[in-house]
Amino acid sequence: MITLSSLMTEDHRACDHDFARIETQVDQGDWAAAATAMTDFAHALETHFSTEEQLLFPRFEAATGMQGGPTAVMRAEHADMREFLERMSAAIQRQDADDFGGEAETLLIMIQQHNMKEENILYPMCETRLADQIVALTAELDASLHPEITAGVAA
Amino acid sequence: MSRSTSGGANPGLGYDAAPPLSAPLRFFLTAPLFGIAAGLVLIGGSGVLESRWTPGALAVVHLFAVGFLLQIMLGALIQILPVVAGASLPSPLRVARLLHVGLSLGAAGLAGGLGYAQPDLLIGGAGLLGITLAGFLACAAYAVALAPATTMASRTPRDLRLALSALAVALALGLALALGLGRGLYLPLPFPVQVDLHAGWALLGWAGIILAATSWVVVPMFHITPSYPLALTRYWAPIMLVVLAVWSLSSAAGFSSLATIMLIVLLACAGAFLGTTLYLQSRTRRSTPDAPFRAFRLAMIALLASIGVLVISNLSDAAHWPVLAGVLALHGGLGGATSAMLYKIVPFLSWLNLTQTGVKAPNVRKLLPEARVRAQLRMHAATLAMLVLAALIPALAPLAGLMLVIESAWLLANMIFVVKMWRNARPSPQIPA
Repeated sequence: MITLSSLMTEDHRACDHDFARIETQVDQGDWAAAATAMTDFAHALETHFSTEEQLLFPRFEAATGMQGGPTAVMRAEHADMREFLERMSAAIQRQDADDFGGEAETLLIMIQQHNMKEENILYPMCETRLADQIVALTAELDASLHPEITAGVAA
Repeated sequence: MSRSTSGGANPGLGYDAAPPLSAPLRFFLTAPLFGIAAGLVLIGGSGVLESRWTPGALAVVHLFAVGFLLQIMLGALIQILPVVAGASLPSPLRVARLLHVGLSLGAAGLAGGLGYAQPDLLIGGAGLLGITLAGFLACAAYAVALAPATTMASRTPRDLRLALSALAVALALGLALALGLGRGLYLPLPFPVQVDLHAGWALLGWAGIILAATSWVVVPMFHITPSYPLALTRYWAPIMLVVLAVWSLSSAAGFSSLATIMLIVLLACAGAFLGTTLYLQSRTRRSTPDAPFRAFRLAMIALLASIGVLVISNLSDAAHWPVLAGVLALHGGLGGATSAMLYKIVPFLSWLNLTQTGVKAPNVRKLLPEARVRAQLRMHAATLAMLVLAALIPALAPLAGLMLVIESAWLLANMIFVVKMWRNARPSPQIPA
């Protein structure tokens, strides 16, 4: 059975793969493909962030009464990472591989330490504190992360 | 609950849970000095690498293993405990200060005592290390015990605990050896057996498990590879500890065939971890691996080679095999892996510190340009090659020592470069945290 942790963790990895694709295109000097890959990555990351911010975090906050707790920290880190997307896009537009590499490397470390905290601490906390609604919530998160697949199944 | 916004409810998620930058940085800036010291012993000593038992070799091993490797590993551990284990040390800066001073003076004393055959210095250094590490282990155990219980998917927190237990055993065996050498108070065990047990718990137990526990997380996430097989992350570390225990007991009891079988199992398990890591790294999605990635790969290969040499050294009495295995494991494997980690950790922590103070921080590659990292890691690879030659031709030890001095000084220069960039980027003259 798919769990909340495994669903969200797999989506982290899917975003990583999109990230690696931009790096590959930049390394090959294919700036048009890099721009497309960048758009895909930004979309995947934004879908993940908004799924958490609009579906997961509010449920956690309602169930625990913690407004300024772990979810506030995660929201702040999302905001920091969104700024990187703009800087990486700008570097691709300028066709500046060095600047792109530096920004991308910094974002990757930022993403992974954020993911570690979510995967090691926050998601297990969610599974414990939201145990009574976990199956329905996981399905909602799945639908939000993969709208095209869910729509395909429905059709 | 009244602690709803305190650390208990917000375990390790906020940057406020992380210790200040200066806590880990002091370890990272001191470690290269011990690399330099180890190189100087190789230059100045006579016949240092002729066998693993020369006073110079014992001094070099402990300068590098405790002064360099353990220094970096514990400095990094202080930093990552909150993130990977949800465990915050009580007053981390004070813990870091005491640990740093005790570890550095202890390592220097221990190595001096071994190298110059000074019993009082040896006992003093070992005693200081014992008190310092026991205090740190108690703090870490306290922090881990207070960490909120969660059903963590990651095996890393558990493996960190197992690694710390192995460090405690290695420490106890080391203290017993120091009492034997310094005061004639020997355990009722053949001396070489006791030394092997100490080295086994230190390298396969502590260093091996902490390397694996780190790799479970770092390799898939930062090298963007498939995950480690679940069975490996679930069972590897507990199996290592159990087999180490059976190996130790059978060695101590004189059951030499059982001990040999257990040693083979230990080396096979270590090989399985290293082989899997190399395989996963070969499936990275990152198209142009950077210098630290390649250094980490070289480290895994050096560790595999070291296992091969250990097998040969069990079949042959020649003195150079254990020296070669030690060079490959300590400098090539663990030294390479810790250098690679430093190059990821230090620029990021500096960036994070600047970002937290509200500065538009230069990215990690501006804080430490890739070209500088690549050049130093090439020097590391060249030094390893010369150390391997020197293990086979001991007359080359001074040349290998000179290269180790250059490699370590270069690492220090790169660390200082990041600190300078960090200072320059800070908003206004401030007292460093």
